Amino acid sequence: MVERKDVTKGNVDEGNGAVISARGLGKEFNGIWALKGVDLSLERGETLGVIGPNGAGKTTLIRVLTGQISPSSGEIHCEGKVVDPARLGFRMRIGLVPQEASFYGRLTARENLALLARLYGLAGEEAAARTDELLQWSGLLEHSRRQVRFFSRGMQQRLSLAMGLVHRPEIVFLDEPTSGLDPEARSAVWELILRLQEEGRTVFMTTHNMEEADHICTRLAILVKGEIREQGTPQRIKSLLGTDRVELRLSEERQGELEELCSSLGIYWKKEGEAYVLTGVDLPEKLPAIISRLAVGLRDMHYREVTLEDAFLRFMREVEG
Amino acid sequence: MRGWRSLLAKDWKMVVRNRILLGVLIIYPFLIMGVIGAAFQETGRPVPVGLVNLDEAREAGSLWICGESGSPAGWRRTLQRRAEDFVAYASGEEALAAFERGEVDALLLVAESSGGEEWCGARIANDRLEAMVGDLEDGWRGLRYYATAGEAESSLRDGECDAALGLLGKAYPYLAETIWLEGENYDAARLLRDFSRDVMEISDYASEKEALADLRSGRLDAVIVIPPGFISRLKTLEEVAGVKVVIDQSNLVKAEFAETGIRGFLSRVSERVVEEKMRAVVAGLYVLVTGGDFFGTQVVGLQEIGDNLRSIRDAVADRPELAGLVEQGIELAETVVADIEDAAAYLRGTALPVDLEVTSVAGRSLAAKDAVVPSLVALSMLWTGVLCGAILMVLEDEEGMRVRLRLTRMGPFALVGSKLLLAGAIVFLQSVVMLFLAVAAFGAFASSMHLALLTTALTALSCIGIGLVLAAFARQVAGAVILSVLVTFPLIFMTGAVFPLSQMPHFMRVIAHAIPLTYALEALSGVMLRGESLADVAWRLAVLLGFGVALLGLGSALVRRKSR
Ligand SMILES: Nc1ncnc2c1ncn2[C@@H]1O[C@H](COP(=O)(O)OP(=O)(O)OP(=O)(O)O)[C@@H](O)[C@H]1O
Ligand SMILES: [Mg+2]
Repeated sequence: MVERKDVTKGNVDEGNGAVISARGLGKEFNGIWALKGVDLSLERGETLGVIGPNGAGKTTLIRVLTGQISPSSGEIHCEGKVVDPARLGFRMRIGLVPQEASFYGRLTARENLALLARLYGLAGEEAAARTDELLQWSGLLEHSRRQVRFFSRGMQQRLSLAMGLVHRPEIVFLDEPTSGLDPEARSAVWELILRLQEEGRTVFMTTHNMEEADHICTRLAILVKGEIREQGTPQRIKSLLGTDRVELRLSEERQGELEELCSSLGIYWKKEGEAYVLTGVDLPEKLPAIISRLAVGLRDMHYREVTLEDAFLRFMREVEG
Repeated sequence: MRGWRSLLAKDWKMVVRNRILLGVLIIYPFLIMGVIGAAFQETGRPVPVGLVNLDEAREAGSLWICGESGSPAGWRRTLQRRAEDFVAYASGEEALAAFERGEVDALLLVAESSGGEEWCGARIANDRLEAMVGDLEDGWRGLRYYATAGEAESSLRDGECDAALGLLGKAYPYLAETIWLEGENYDAARLLRDFSRDVMEISDYASEKEALADLRSGRLDAVIVIPPGFISRLKTLEEVAGVKVVIDQSNLVKAEFAETGIRGFLSRVSERVVEEKMRAVVAGLYVLVTGGDFFGTQVVGLQEIGDNLRSIRDAVADRPELAGLVEQGIELAETVVADIEDAAAYLRGTALPVDLEVTSVAGRSLAAKDAVVPSLVALSMLWTGVLCGAILMVLEDEEGMRVRLRLTRMGPFALVGSKLLLAGAIVFLQSVVMLFLAVAAFGAFASSMHLALLTTALTALSCIGIGLVLAAFARQVAGAVILSVLVTFPLIFMTGAVFPLSQMPHFMRVIAHAIPLTYALEALSGVMLRGESLADVAWRLAVLLGFGVALLGLGSALVRRKSR
């Protein structure tokens, strides 16, 4: 645990070159702190994913960072300087795709985009050009004349993404961009987010989907009950929190021996029905020793690489238990 | 206000593409206007009234007098004493059958102290019966007259009276008399018909029960029961003639119409009768002066008596003591003649002491439909304005767009401004169309259309302001609509739109004057119906403007705070 805290600290201390960084950010709603001293930085060009259970404060964090609500404590820095995110200068640099559906259902995709383009100060032709560009970008050009309320969820989400990009923001906040989408629609949205990365935009996103976090994000932060508990690359999070796991079955007379061995090697084990499940940080290194000692009586063995989901779930169990 | 035009265009598209919104905000008020307009188009029609005339000659058929006798047993003894033949019956059926067969002239139904009822009948001479009727009409309280035994029985059973006397209609004294008015002879039915022309549409009923049934079913708005002997009482100087009027008060407007109509008619009758009686008295007095027929007796006039006395005085001129006495007679005759002339002049003046001339302040007499237009316009503006303001604003939340809009370059007042402009346009145009429709299609009166439009324009501000304030307390259109309904209905009842302010208790009036709609209504009816000028309503318009600005400011502040 000590090691983990150090990791968190280390990242924040390096935060000076960050585009945006939060220092001790807290937000109180009627006496309840939805965010507690959040230290987090967003580096240029990275895609930071904030993962955390429902009610962890992910949306609140985005709302504070995008200036929709003001923090109860702490400050927000932009390129090293304290900034009020509600100011126009900052607002023009960020784009937001809210968690809830947000578009005018009775307007067409084109009308929605064009309205925002006008409101972002684009003149008539410029606005029309940008609208076309975004329709093209989101693959909605052929549906641009349909009222958005008749769109599928996937199409709506692609439009929602496009609507956050009207003014070509360098930083894009995505609040659970794929929740409620089917796999096909989800990968279409991933496609778009990856394209944002290619364009060099900085992305701050929240998600529940570990596959998404692993696949899309270059760095992850785990937010639990308003606090950042972990930060690092997906690989690092996985190795910190979870490990690869081995499932094995062996004859009854050898079982006591296995348990003893695991204890002495510092391998975490538990019994799931007939099978033993072994997990541990350096399992790959220790595994040969176990196999050689227990070769007789070993019935079968499966090796499975850890997923971020496993890691997250285990982490959550640890946090709660 | 940067961006207001794009927002306005967007809102307009959303309204037009949303059928429910389109209906609620644009079509519904016209529907209301059409329905109410059509209903009021017909007002001024005669009130349907049922007439139960018990003061008419009835050869067959009975007449029942009910009342609080005080001592049912005593009246039973009175009947027994005056009767030639007295029968006590075991049951009502038996008694009524005997009455129908003509075996008895009168039936007495009395409540017993034990709670039951007792029937007795009598053969009785007509003059004795008349005397008894006279006695009981003097002695009983709460007199009621019915044409059927059934009605009398149920009145007794309901505890409205403790005794009822039934007699053959023709045995009732002073029935179906006529009165001489304006050179014509009137019986009760004709009096009612002729004097209520244009105001009441009269249908005849044989009994009160039947008439009341039709009143309940809505076919009639009122029932008038004329008691037996009505005209007779009308004619005599000592007695007061009463009629019974039953009005359906479940509908206030209907009751108001009926009552006004009937009161108007009765006061016209009273006026004529009083006038006629005065004329008779004055004529009688003149007969004392001129001589002639003095209420059926030929008399010698005072003037002639005076002349005769003067001849006597001349003849006895040589006897001064006699001449002196005669002189006294002459003087008396002259004084009395002069007094009578004064008295007659005075009486003629008293007959109708006040000459009432009712005119409208508008300079033209107004119909109900004229009077209803300002309220209707103001109320529909309130409805549309509040809903429009609230819904347009809350739609931004419901569509989740507030978050996005706040990040754009949109000016701080663009959102509120665009809503105000669109809602204002909708509400104002609606009032314009309503006013023109009212005037052009329904022929309603408006003394100044310009001022009316100015008033509605200012009214729109307050109504939309209320809507914006409400929008701050809702996150969804459904919530906004519920809030709007919750707020608009009490507002409507708290202004003078439904009940006149002058009839409200003081605190209600204070409340009413804290509501912009009250000023809107006063100003609107002022410029439309009372012929008021801009100067007359200027302060009300200023108050309206003040309310509008304050409410819009408050609404805008609340709405902006909510999005934080
Ligand atoms: N405006 C508010 N007033 C009061 N409490 C709030 C408000 N907004 C959020 N909260 C509370 O703050 C906590 C964090 O909420 P938040 O919406 O940020 O969670 P989340 O991580 O986005 O959850 P989800 O995964 O469900 O979107 C919750 O307990 C929520 O009830
Ligand atoms: Mg959320």
